[in-house]
Amino acid sequence: MTAAPHPALAAYLLGLADDELILGHRNSEWCGHAPILEEDIAFANLAQDELGHASLWYRLLEGLTGERPDRLVFFREASAYRCVQMVELPKGDWAFSMLRQFLFDAAEAARLGRLAESRYAPAGETAIKIRTEEIYHYRHTQAWIKRLGLGTHESHQRVQAALDVLWPYALQLFAPGPGEAEMTAGGLVPAAEDLQAAWEAAVVAALHESGLTPPADRRPAATDRANHSPHLAPLLEEMQSVARLEGPAVGW
Amino acid sequence: MDTQWPRFEVFEQEHPAQPHRNAGAVHAPDAELALLNARDVFVRRPDCHSLWVAPARQILARTLEEIEAAEQLATPPPAEGTPAQLYQVFQKQSQRQAQTYVVHVGAVEARSAPEALDLARQRYEGRQVFVWWIVPEASIVRSTPGEAASLFAPARDKPYRQPSFYRVLTQMRAVKSGETGAAPGETEA
Repeated sequence: MTAAPHPALAAYLLGLADDELILGHRNSEWCGHAPILEEDIAFANLAQDELGHASLWYRLLEGLTGERPDRLVFFREASAYRCVQMVELPKGDWAFSMLRQFLFDAAEAARLGRLAESRYAPAGETAIKIRTEEIYHYRHTQAWIKRLGLGTHESHQRVQAALDVLWPYALQLFAPGPGEAEMTAGGLVPAAEDLQAAWEAAVVAALHESGLTPPADRRPAATDRANHSPHLAPLLEEMQSVARLEGPAVGW
Repeated sequence: MDTQWPRFEVFEQEHPAQPHRNAGAVHAPDAELALLNARDVFVRRPDCHSLWVAPARQILARTLEEIEAAEQLATPPPAEGTPAQLYQVFQKQSQRQAQTYVVHVGAVEARSAPEALDLARQRYEGRQVFVWWIVPEASIVRSTPGEAASLFAPARDKPYRQPSFYRVLTQMRAVKSGETGAAPGETEA
């Protein structure tokens, strides 16, 4: 264990890890159900990548707090999770899941690029590692959003409806957590408002290019990562059921 | 109504010193998504240096038998004034490797695909070829060196694991055979 450069850093890393884990788990629900075989494989790959990224953040966190990733993932109650509500929402239709992944990938692209320069070197190294893969994710989801947005009347309507629902949830990704401003001042993590500005610039341009319009309201659906939607608990119950059956002694 | 998307053939190069080989095919609405699908379907784990995709309907494919049968009929010459274009040439050179279909051997300039096949057979003779593929250069979409890192690098440091790698399987077997007693929550029958 090494001393954390700031007491709030562990909570920040936990948020990153939980977002990736829950989104990856949600997306894995498409496995065997995607509209075509090729995209089934691609989306399962994406889901697995997010779980891999979660694992990297959990291991970094373990270095600071000593908490084992397996315990955090499989033996923690919903109230102790720190993911944003966007990743908890049920998978919905294909447009909804693809758009959620797109909005998340764009946020990752903005965050990881800046986090790569963190004064906390281990976070910078992890960000660089993840960023390479996220470039591909963003390209993949952006290509799909464009085709859904400009495709048929139905595909356009579905992805626009998804955007109307997801937009306020996506804004929670940029709600600063406790101590975040101080960490930004110390060069540990990027400024939340910079991330949001970069994200909005990229996302709004891509959405317009796809014939889609984000809602004018800029209020996030939630701001405190300790509050969760009713969808998280059932998700965890299923995800944790096997591990809890076997008990904490089994390695995963 | 046929609702299936068009098929694209995928050519994969594992190392800069090796030729592109046909890896299989993907369905996609267009070439860009075909390239992305090809990446996800064929290069998730193994090493890859470059990927090409081409719409299957643009490819002239001829087996040895088809070529021999066609030699009784003369290939009609292309219309007067047809401009020459580049065609990539692929061969199936062996019957042994079930997984290797055609491999890239070079390119020829011709005014039509059948003419390209004739030229290719003259230029790339010298060994037995079981199947020829002639692919118009203009129909090929390639991964660029700039995007190689995001497309292929992440696969490299990921271990490829069969399901049997995970210890829980043996654990479950032990539980089932009663070696470690009943699993938590399980009651005696």
